[in-house]
Amino acid sequence: MTTQRAEDLADAGTQSAPGESVAAEAARSGRFAALGQGLQQVLAFGTLIALIIVFTIASPKFLTITNLSSILLSTAVIGILAVGTTFVIITGGIDLSLGTAMTLCSVVTGLLLTDAGLPLPLGVLGGIAMGALIGLINGFNVAVLGLPPFIATLSMMLVAQGLALVLSGVKPIYFTTVDGFSKIALGEIIPKVPNAVLVLFGLAILAGIILRKTILGRMTYAIGSNEEATRLSGINTRRWVLAIYTLAGVATGVAGVVLAARLNSAQPQLGVGYELQAIAAVIIGGTSLLGGRGSILGTVIGALIMSVLINGLRILAIQTEWQTVVVGLVVLVAVFADNLRKRRAEGGGHR
Amino acid sequence: MSQLLTVEGISKGFPGVQALDGVNFELDRGEVLALVGENGAGKSTLMKILSGIYTMDSGRIAIDGDEVDVNDPKVAQKLGISIIHQEMNLMPHLTVAQNIYIGREPRTGPWLRDGELNRRTKQLLEGLNIHLRPSQVVGDLTVASQQMVEIAKALSYDHTKILIMDEPTSAISISETQVLFGLIRSLRDRGVGIVYISHRMEELRQIADRVTVLRDGQYVGTRRMDEVSDDEIISMMVGREISAGYSSRQDVPAHTGELALSVRSLSTKKLLRDVSFDLHKGEILGFAGLMGAGRTETARALIGADPVSGGTVAVNGKEVRISGPEVAVRLGIGYLPEDRKRHGLMLEQDVAFNVAMASLSSNKAPLGFLREGRARKVTDRFIKALRIKTPSSRTMVKTLSGGNQQKVVIAKWLARDCDVLIFDEPTRGIDVGAKEEIYKLLNDLADEGKAIIMISSELPEVLRLSHRIVVMSQGRVTGTLTPDKADQESIMKLATQNIEDVAA
Amino acid sequence: MKSYMKATVAVLAAAVMTLSACGRGNDAASSGDGGKSNLDIALVSKGFQHQFWQAVKAGAEEKAKELGVTMTFDGPASETEVDSQLQMLQAAIERKPDAIGYAALDPEACVPLLDQAKQGDIPVVEFDAGCNSKVPVTICKTDSKTAGALAAEHMAQLINKKGKVAIVGHSQINSTGVERRDGFIEKMKKDYPDIQIVDIQYGDGDHLKSADIAKAQLAAHPDLAGLYGTNEGSAIGIVNAVNELGLQPGKLTVVGFDSGQAQIDAIKSGVMAGAITQDPMGIGRCTIDSAVKAVKGESMDDVQDTGSFWYDKSNVDSSDIKPKLYQ
Repeated sequence: MTTQRAEDLADAGTQSAPGESVAAEAARSGRFAALGQGLQQVLAFGTLIALIIVFTIASPKFLTITNLSSILLSTAVIGILAVGTTFVIITGGIDLSLGTAMTLCSVVTGLLLTDAGLPLPLGVLGGIAMGALIGLINGFNVAVLGLPPFIATLSMMLVAQGLALVLSGVKPIYFTTVDGFSKIALGEIIPKVPNAVLVLFGLAILAGIILRKTILGRMTYAIGSNEEATRLSGINTRRWVLAIYTLAGVATGVAGVVLAARLNSAQPQLGVGYELQAIAAVIIGGTSLLGGRGSILGTVIGALIMSVLINGLRILAIQTEWQTVVVGLVVLVAVFADNLRKRRAEGGGHR
Repeated sequence: MSQLLTVEGISKGFPGVQALDGVNFELDRGEVLALVGENGAGKSTLMKILSGIYTMDSGRIAIDGDEVDVNDPKVAQKLGISIIHQEMNLMPHLTVAQNIYIGREPRTGPWLRDGELNRRTKQLLEGLNIHLRPSQVVGDLTVASQQMVEIAKALSYDHTKILIMDEPTSAISISETQVLFGLIRSLRDRGVGIVYISHRMEELRQIADRVTVLRDGQYVGTRRMDEVSDDEIISMMVGREISAGYSSRQDVPAHTGELALSVRSLSTKKLLRDVSFDLHKGEILGFAGLMGAGRTETARALIGADPVSGGTVAVNGKEVRISGPEVAVRLGIGYLPEDRKRHGLMLEQDVAFNVAMASLSSNKAPLGFLREGRARKVTDRFIKALRIKTPSSRTMVKTLSGGNQQKVVIAKWLARDCDVLIFDEPTRGIDVGAKEEIYKLLNDLADEGKAIIMISSELPEVLRLSHRIVVMSQGRVTGTLTPDKADQESIMKLATQNIEDVAA
Repeated sequence: MKSYMKATVAVLAAAVMTLSACGRGNDAASSGDGGKSNLDIALVSKGFQHQFWQAVKAGAEEKAKELGVTMTFDGPASETEVDSQLQMLQAAIERKPDAIGYAALDPEACVPLLDQAKQGDIPVVEFDAGCNSKVPVTICKTDSKTAGALAAEHMAQLINKKGKVAIVGHSQINSTGVERRDGFIEKMKKDYPDIQIVDIQYGDGDHLKSADIAKAQLAAHPDLAGLYGTNEGSAIGIVNAVNELGLQPGKLTVVGFDSGQAQIDAIKSGVMAGAITQDPMGIGRCTIDSAVKAVKGESMDDVQDTGSFWYDKSNVDSSDIKPKLYQ
């Protein structure tokens, strides 16, 4: 084995040991960096807890089982989108087509279940497959045609919006004839926890495992850290980028199904702007827009922060206009915290 | 008259480490003082204190005998201290003139006066004997010319008395270095005091008057260059004797002669023309040439990283088509890029992550799960075997020194068990002690039967390690030399040959 | 990857506008003969996706066929795209039709373009929402304040003239959103002092957002007697909220606006007490009719209210209401 050989040769090698301070310095900045890595997540989690405490004090109506259940349900769709797009953002990419692609998936699910009359599981799978297809096309445009993700997904955003309108005939598709469809989102396998929430958490756990434990996740970080170095390490980066966008597309498809199930209808004009909320949740959760760093746990916390914040402000009857301002400021603070963390980590090491 | 710059007893601590501990040195007018020391010795920290980026914990800085408080980069500039950083801070889309006077553009109200800007720049460049047009876009210039722009920028502050240069030649070729040295000499003759940081001993010989050595944040000593030997400087730096003479050519053991790689008429649209060479098992094949001669391009074309327009490659006698790096890796060819940070490493990831990169696909469990534990074990073995100085396999690569980063890249390819290794500038930016280790490693790998291509701009390094030396110029191979026939002069002759001469 | 981003951001703004402007071809209903005797009328709507606009279009097409005129119907993808709507209006003017029917997204931005139409001797009639200009000869629309007051009147009766009421609005800017809200509030203040309006929030007509808003309002005010949604999306959001919270149908009085399959179902199932509908086909018919009159130089009232109508379980299937329900 090579490793063995390498060991032998080094053992026989020079005894020179360059400055011990190198190791000492590395240890110091390494510790700093590790601290910084976790910092954003701790910060995000702390923010979430702080928000809950503040709203609980501000209104006795906030911390009730029913309202917490409402908050979780309102996190589901954006949360699922955010979990999927976390992968894309860690590669250093961006997906602007999330919102309208989600809508297109719910329209496709609607057509399959109503017009085509397919059985429920097939219709759901069809919607998810549509998401995967959109992801695959996005991935192709980015990885093979070499388009900047911003542009590739921007055009997909428009294409998906148009297709959703065309396919639906500019009319909502109702699932009233499809028994049990709305249970996908609103049924409660666990009392007071709508199934949509279970879908979110199930998907998040799965995504977390993929990101941390599988080669696909490793490639996500590697490509985001340094695409050229990854390629020169003998890795077919195109194939992986394709796979990553497809995976994100699957999540988009799931979000489309959950959205349709919650509304018990596919609303073709919905969806614009959802991508920005999902991206904001990812950023609040500490994933870097520059790529290479991020986590699913952070994203889920980020999505919860957004929905707790909005729900709390609504309960306090804060004007809608001001709600928007506050959410914007939170995103700003999150990005600033990320910057601060980066600066601290770098200030520690030598350049 | 008092000293231009006096630095006394400077100390600076960071949490957990004393970066500088009572460092002294003096700089005269019209003097080039070399500042050497291994990475982590405290050179950069010292320079950052002098240029006001860091504040010192204790110590004293005096300019022209007056004590000064350099607490801000602006103050440093006012005091006449200019610094040229290792990484360049130029804006590639702007012109030479725009870069030099950025933030100080001549203007009337809100309107820029481009004519005046270019006139001023022209005057400045002429005064420095730098042959560049003010209106050239910096991104189009060679690295060396960009370096000149940096210097011109530093000197454009009228009263620059002290110029600090942090490894200014790390990215430029030998001939370009000579132009730079010419400039440094003319500055010196004008009375500017220059602090010159470099790892390259032969450069210090050419340019420095005195040398100050730091080790582990401490002041070791200052010598006159004409009174000190290379070995002496190196042992001051590393704190022990270097057994093998640094610049002497070592005995080169013979290789087995079995053909590992055979390249014929490799060409690219952009640069390469009919590049042919053979590489044997157990051989170190040196690639020498000036910047832009096509050595890196040859390596990249060979592994399929860049498109090829013609030629054939045979691995172990069998002709192959290498359409991308993933194919090269499958055939056992690993490439260690010139620019480690940009092309070789994921700086924000840990050591184990980087070491595992090339061998992931051959070492994964069902469903694409990673064998994390195994990867850590392999990494730990290499950390020991290659003596990678890192607190653990979980340390971010960014925080390691250049030499240790290079070892991480080497470990990546050893973990993949490659038979052919292409090292592109393996010792660039690495301090002397670590260089010796890398050399030793290369020799041992060759002894073990690996076929190695070593691209290097440091001729002593090429001469010392190579079994044979391929010299390139302007995209072509202009000669292949055996060590007994090769010396710096013969290589330079081939490296500076024009295409027309070759064709003729 | 990343480096492209900065470089392209600038291009984007332009690209988005162009794409959304050219993305939709003219939704022409012209029946092709283009004979000289045919009048050509260009309608520029506030949108075309929503069923409401589809109904306006259908009404207009019906009238156009009846009168033997040719018409086109165009509108931006969303009701926030003021710019691209203006481009559509510009294009319509340049086409030199015999008359233009226009529904203003922004009451100010359209002024210079309408002046231009006047210079080109193209008569302009408005529908749904007006422009602050003297050029148009008439407007065919639902009087939204009257409609809002009608909603308030029914709400008050249904909750026995007392209790807390909240509003889920669809816009705090757009005139229909504002007037439907204000008509409702003014009516309550004037005639029903025991009814208290406790909260108004806006969900942009987004079903999901409106549902979450309604749930938050219900959490904050468990004793809420009534909820009023100012358009279809807002109203369905409230219905979804009631369903998701598992409230007894009828415990909360839900009053909606506009129509659509989901609202009709909610009314039939009792989750929604009733809703206000307009007569979008009537608006469409009135617009074409007025446009033809304008070409002929006939005089008309400045404002033509096409009416608003309460519908509930009792009359939802009546011949009076049914044609006014757009879906």
